[in-house]
Amino acid sequence: MLVVHALWSPARGVVLWAEDGERPATTSRRSLRSARPHPFAVPASQLAGIHPGKQTSITLLLPSRANGPVESPELVRRTASGRRSSEVSLTPWTVPAVVVEPGELADPAEDVRYGASVVHLRALAAFADDLAAGGRVLPTLRPGPEARWRPVVQGLDAVARRSLVEALPPVGRAEQRRTGDTAGHSPDLLVDGALDTLVDAAVRERLARADAPVALVPPRRGRAPKALPATEAWLAALAGPDPRFEATERELATLADALGPWDAVTTEETGPARATFRLAEIGTLHDPGDPGDDPLDQTGDGTRWVLEFQLQSTEDPSLVLPADDVWAGRADRLITSAQELLLAELGRAALVYPPLTGALRQARPEELDLELDEAHRFLTEDAARLLAAGFGVQLPAGWTGRRPLGLRLSVSSPPAPGVVTRGGLGREELARFRWTLAAGDEELDEEEIAALVAAKAKLVRIRGQWVSVDADALARGLEFLRRQNARRGSGTAADALALAQGAVDTPLPITSVAAEGWIGDLLGGTADRTLEPLDPPPGFRAELRPYQKRGLSWLAFLSSLGLGACLADDMGLGKTIQLLALEARERQQAPPGPTLILCPMSLVGTWQREAARFAPDLRVHAHHGPGRPRGEALREQLADTDIVVTTYGTASRDIEELESLPWHRLVLDEAQAIKNSNAAPSKAARRIVAGHRIALTGTPMENRLAELWSIMDFLNPGMLGTPERFRQRFSVPIERHGSPEAAETLRRITRPYLLRRLKTDPTVIDDLPEKIEIKQEYHLTREQASLYRTIVDDMMEKIEDSVGIQRRGNVLAAMAKLKQVCNHPAQLLHDGSAIGKRSGKVARLEELLAEILAEGDKVLLFSQFTEFASMLVPHLSARFDQEVLHLHGGTPKKQRDAMVERFQSGEGPSIFLLSLKAGGTGLTLTAANHVVHLDRWWNPAVEEQATDRAFRIGQGRTVQVRKFVCPGTVEERIDALIESKKALSDMVISDGEGWLTELSTGELRSVFALGAEAVAEE
Amino acid sequence: MSDQPFWAQEDVPRRPLRVEGGIQIHSTRGTVARTWWSARFIAVLESLGVGGRMARGRNYARSGQIVSCEVDAGAVVALVQGTRPTPYKVRIGIPAWGKQDWARAEQALADDAWYAATLLAGGMPPEIEELFAGLGLALFPASQRDLSMDCTCPDATVPCKHLAAVFYLLAERFDADPFEVLALRGRDRETLLANLRRRRGSTAAPEPVAEETARPLGELLDGFYAAGELDLTRFAPAEPEPGALLEQVPELPIEVRRRKVRDLLRPAYEQLAE
Repeated sequence: MLVVHALWSPARGVVLWAEDGERPATTSRRSLRSARPHPFAVPASQLAGIHPGKQTSITLLLPSRANGPVESPELVRRTASGRRSSEVSLTPWTVPAVVVEPGELADPAEDVRYGASVVHLRALAAFADDLAAGGRVLPTLRPGPEARWRPVVQGLDAVARRSLVEALPPVGRAEQRRTGDTAGHSPDLLVDGALDTLVDAAVRERLARADAPVALVPPRRGRAPKALPATEAWLAALAGPDPRFEATERELATLADALGPWDAVTTEETGPARATFRLAEIGTLHDPGDPGDDPLDQTGDGTRWVLEFQLQSTEDPSLVLPADDVWAGRADRLITSAQELLLAELGRAALVYPPLTGALRQARPEELDLELDEAHRFLTEDAARLLAAGFGVQLPAGWTGRRPLGLRLSVSSPPAPGVVTRGGLGREELARFRWTLAAGDEELDEEEIAALVAAKAKLVRIRGQWVSVDADALARGLEFLRRQNARRGSGTAADALALAQGAVDTPLPITSVAAEGWIGDLLGGTADRTLEPLDPPPGFRAELRPYQKRGLSWLAFLSSLGLGACLADDMGLGKTIQLLALEARERQQAPPGPTLILCPMSLVGTWQREAARFAPDLRVHAHHGPGRPRGEALREQLADTDIVVTTYGTASRDIEELESLPWHRLVLDEAQAIKNSNAAPSKAARRIVAGHRIALTGTPMENRLAELWSIMDFLNPGMLGTPERFRQRFSVPIERHGSPEAAETLRRITRPYLLRRLKTDPTVIDDLPEKIEIKQEYHLTREQASLYRTIVDDMMEKIEDSVGIQRRGNVLAAMAKLKQVCNHPAQLLHDGSAIGKRSGKVARLEELLAEILAEGDKVLLFSQFTEFASMLVPHLSARFDQEVLHLHGGTPKKQRDAMVERFQSGEGPSIFLLSLKAGGTGLTLTAANHVVHLDRWWNPAVEEQATDRAFRIGQGRTVQVRKFVCPGTVEERIDALIESKKALSDMVISDGEGWLTELSTGELRSVFALGAEAVAEE
Repeated sequence: MSDQPFWAQEDVPRRPLRVEGGIQIHSTRGTVARTWWSARFIAVLESLGVGGRMARGRNYARSGQIVSCEVDAGAVVALVQGTRPTPYKVRIGIPAWGKQDWARAEQALADDAWYAATLLAGGMPPEIEELFAGLGLALFPASQRDLSMDCTCPDATVPCKHLAAVFYLLAERFDADPFEVLALRGRDRETLLANLRRRRGSTAAPEPVAEETARPLGELLDGFYAAGELDLTRFAPAEPEPGALLEQVPELPIEVRRRKVRDLLRPAYEQLAE
């Protein structure tokens, strides 16, 4: 496994280097003054294969023992390196490295772990991009001459910069500056140097993204002169990819002079505090008994506007000190040089907001009096400018933003219960619409609207809240209301949904949609709870749990509306059974035509089996493999089919044919398969025409916005806009800025189409059994299959030729070898070769773990082979970039206890690999709610015991137990054998695997034989 | 070249001795004084009309011939390395204000926070000159008569290039920190701020902030690969305004085909936010 580290080199830029757990931990070279080659660094050529760039080498100062560097904590070796007791000291090493483009950081490779230094440099690049996006950059002139963009880091940005400097891991500045240096680069200089370069790159990258090239130089009439004037050349070089330009010394001197004032806008060191401006209404102190006019009253109720000055600590933003505390010296205990800081901040703020100057012309400025219009201007313009310049602003409570005046739509429709059964309900059903004006969330009545129209000031107080009045917007809003109400206010459900998504242009923004009845339930995401739960049809051979009945009625409800639905229940809650119930239900009367299900290869068998088991009336056709029907044969097949199950791969290949067929419904199982909207499966899924679309997924999409977009866009095309618009509106604000507003909007828009129940949901948990057992199917790779056949041929010969103890030995040996090859070819061959993509079981395990980890769950993996576990530890820790615990027979008691304790603690590792023998008894590992048996010990009692590590007192959740089974192999056959024998008698298989040796040679032959279904076609 | 008669000219120019670690000014070309307040000092120098020496002085300042330079009450004292082994001693004198003058000046500054606010934000309000003039005090020299200029070099002309070099360095110091102008008149930054504080009615003295220096790698062997806590979303502005900075910076005196640079750059800032 590889661990990649990164650093910023002032001379070279972004430099990557990596450690390799397969390389020797030590070097035999003796320590001299000069740097020795790093013994386990990845060669530059290999690293460049993962992260393309210029190959080089670099001298790093690393913590080391006498014979080699100390490994980074992320590095895991298959075999632990020997104990080394010598002292740790800082030693120079020459390390092969690759100089990459900054963008390369954002493109992590699979199967590689990344050190904290990479995470840090990524954060630095994201910060640089933020500065660029926010325009907190200025152009400048650098020697060369070059036209460069530089960051202007002020206010909160300066705090962010400071925290980046402080968070820089030592390895990030480990480059040796010159021979003999042991101090490393200064973190400040490194961060500033990196920002300078990254910002310039980010600006150019953003400019290059424009649809049409950004032209900064105005068009010229007539022919261009041979040499452009310097300013023109400089501007052109700012917008293009190449910063260099040409100009005479004299011109450059003039340009440099002219740019002086901009260069003087400096990147400031953060102060310990910043100024915050609080807009407040205060009483005018006018005596109410005085009949005369109150000259100060601005609001009609005896208050006026002031802007109060405060000092806010940047380290502890909750510490806010009013200016009078500062002037009285009460702030100095809390913030160093508070008075000078406040003065400096006010001086800087006055440049952004000139009206401040007036208030500063006294000894102890505390506030600025504002006229009504000034207060309005502050709310609508100045506050944003102050914020952008890094100052804090506090607005009065109830201030809802820049355009608080909006439209509110109330929709009434019939109540939800029973709508599904009633039938005939649809998108075109009419509902009553009522439009009103609203200020924020508050609906305005006639009188208030009249007050707004009559108001001369731009700020009007309505029900205690300030409303900014834009006369034009008000007029447009009223006109809209008049037209709507003239139409007697009705619309369809589809109209209401479109309006709620913000997909319709209205003269004022729609601030809220309030709906009653079923449309309200749908919009509010509560439909599954208010709909009457549906029972599966009579022929259905399973009892649905209450939450599954609700899921069924929700699916039926959205289907009746023609709306695409995403069922995203946690894994293990039975999405398959809910869909089968829906299909069976719809086919009680007139069959609506076939439904097409796309799923990964490993699930085709599951669909067939579950359908046969629960809904035997459904006619299922598995459409894959070389013999699958085409053309007329396929059409004939479909006439007698209810459900066609195919793989994403087959669908992509047969898309021409599949898209021409009339499908009742298209279902995507494991819908995260289409997360990349440009990949073949995704394109194929979008081309298929169907009356209804359903996506099933167990991965929570909230955190993977691109995936959410892709699935929602598949279900209801255009719903979330173009990918670019989505990125701008949601991905960037949510992922980069953690914006709760954007997240809330996105939740509101997607909520009607998404049903997700969690295992931990109290309405679900009571319905669940304590343990769910699942057979985890997978397929062998071609390499595995061919090895498997060889073993069977070889071993059957030996078994036939032997008797007694020798035969028993041969049977057990054959069994072990077949198990090994099912695990991984390298385990059978004992050759220490790479894991790669050679094992179908490992590939399926990775998919499964990805889901488990995405849900934040913990998992126990049991194997009877220590060798297999040792192979998996470095592989999985690289694949998932996290620590993997491994407990085996050789683990000392003390370490064993420490591992268990760490795993059980909330923050500890999520994956625990255990040897069946060593970990199968005694331990309590209830932090896990998933148990996976990687290979089978053909003795249910032993497996049960291991499973009970997680499933024992203290376990509050449902435990999901998975056993890996490959169809058409010994695994499936013996599994079936056990199932049948278990039913007969537990006696037969009470002790170990010995009972298997009692099978006749003929029985063994059929148990071992490799079936065609064992290998995936793809 | 100089407009002096031949006998007053310097010897054939010899290269001055190089200085290791000398003080260099940052301006690499063109004029040096960037702000109006530093320009007031350079104006006195340039009014003396010794063009060639000016340019040579500027080159001295750029190439780092100034060994040291101290701004003190009433004088700037510097060592400038010329062609001789011993650096020349340069002194520019300007009368420091007396105690009572300063008391009045400080009171005037303390009464109007705008001055201190602007100074602390790195600027100097032009009105400050009037403020002091009202107290009978001149902040800037009006002509060479207000300055004394001495240099130990053999060049009899005043100012010589060494003096000129010090002027340019001084101008850059003033640009970077306008408090230095006041320091030359007798109040260094710390003293002035402390006095203003007192006059404002607060006695608490500011604690000096300890300069933090990076720890050498050798002390960081534990946690060598670990990063500190980092959550930048905390600092992201809620509603970034892409053009805000561009609109805040001062107008530049350069244009292309009568269009101001700021206007020409605006489309770039708009695209940045896309």
